Amino acid sequence: MQASRARLFKEYKEVQREKVADPDIQLVCDDTNIFKWTALIKGPSETPFEGGIFQLAFAVPEQYPLQPPQVRFLTKIFHPNVHFKTGEICLDILKNAWSPAWTLQSVCRAIIALMAHPEPDSPLNCDSG
Amino acid sequence: MVSDSITRASAHAVPNTGGRDLGKKKRARSAKLKQCKLDVRREQWLSQGAMKNKDCKEEQNSVVKAGKERSNNRSFGNLEMRPRGGQIDGSIHHHHHHHDSDVESNSPNSLTSSVLESNYSETTFTSSSSSSSGGCCSGNITEDEEGGGDDGCLDDWEAVADALAADEKPKNTCPESPPEHEPIAQTVFPQETAIGSDQVENLNPPYSRVIPKASGNGHAWRPDDAFRPQSLPNLANQLSLPNSNRKHYSCGGVPWAYNGVVPSSCPICYEDLDFTDTSFLPCLCGFRLCLFCHNRIMEEDGRCPGCRKPYEHEPVEAETSVHGGSLTFRLPRSCSMITRS
Repeated sequence: MQASRARLFKEYKEVQREKVADPDIQLVCDDTNIFKWTALIKGPSETPFEGGIFQLAFAVPEQYPLQPPQVRFLTKIFHPNVHFKTGEICLDILKNAWSPAWTLQSVCRAIIALMAHPEPDSPLNCDSG
Repeated sequence: MVSDSITRASAHAVPNTGGRDLGKKKRARSAKLKQCKLDVRREQWLSQGAMKNKDCKEEQNSVVKAGKERSNNRSFGNLEMRPRGGQIDGSIHHHHHHHDSDVESNSPNSLTSSVLESNYSETTFTSSSSSSSGGCCSGNITEDEEGGGDDGCLDDWEAVADALAADEKPKNTCPESPPEHEPIAQTVFPQETAIGSDQVENLNPPYSRVIPKASGNGHAWRPDDAFRPQSLPNLANQLSLPNSNRKHYSCGGVPWAYNGVVPSSCPICYEDLDFTDTSFLPCLCGFRLCLFCHNRIMEEDGRCPGCRKPYEHEPVEAETSVHGGSLTFRLPRSCSMITRS
């Protein structure tokens, strides 16, 4: 648990440092709980999501980074790999393909990539396929 | 040969008003840089071989004579140059004509002409490169013109050393050209310095002779030059590499695959790696992490964070330390990884 806290703190500092470098991602930590994060990501260009800003909620387990963070969309999004009601995301790196080398920032990038390139093979929202 | 050339470079690259001591200081670093730049230039010459311009050769005979006359006027550089003079023998013949046209017909700072002529001039140098490199072995010819050409060449190497070693302090003699372009331009055309000096003034300091023409004619490729081969290394990229390596943990993909680069901190816990950690390479993929994180991972699923393959060389140890079922627990995961990706 102490390790996850230390790591999240380092990530927080990293996010502050790289805030300008990646304007598509705004990663904010909860004021009182470092295990709760919120991210605002811009919809990738040349997709139906272009121009939109989507809010993500991160729930980081205490075993982080050995266990992946739980991420879901707070903003309603119509996407084959996102549950329309709960916002749950079907993304391999959030499940069995997670690696401790990933960070919350890189998870955001992966989600942006998923928005641009849906994977119809693992649908959570069959209607949007 | 290297030591010879360096000695002369230091003796003659410094302005004539003095500065021999300065030249001596620069010997050591110019030796290394010279070798590096030689390799780079050789690569450029080779890559440029396909673009030969035949027009250049027609003028050669007439211009060689002019070059001889001019370089005979140069007295100060010849005495020490003789033993190695043959090195530039071929290249001088190839270049006098071309350079003359440059200087006389174009203003040194005209950028429009420089792009066109970069193609033109580089092609001439492909022929001269072979002769100059071959001359390094023998170096017996002691004509005056070659001494002058050699002098110009060594001036260039000195300028290269200056530009590379002290790129943060801009040279006061050449404010108009960035340091990474200018040395390349000078190394391509050593002879132009000799000729240019003859036209302008014989006893000018080397820098003032070299730099305006090199920057103006632009014989080497600029980073945005259309003729620049893609395969050439970009100096700016090379310089920025160490910085990008520092951010290895924040990148997606497989950033740890940078060859031979040991991260300064553990990508998992972000703690600094100590000596034991840096010498610890648990996986063939090259992903490094601290022993503490490695131990924690072995207690959990035992897969390398870099390649997501199970750690191989410590399965027995992990089995004994963890529960008996961990092996059966681990195998299905690794199988699923393979089928998925």
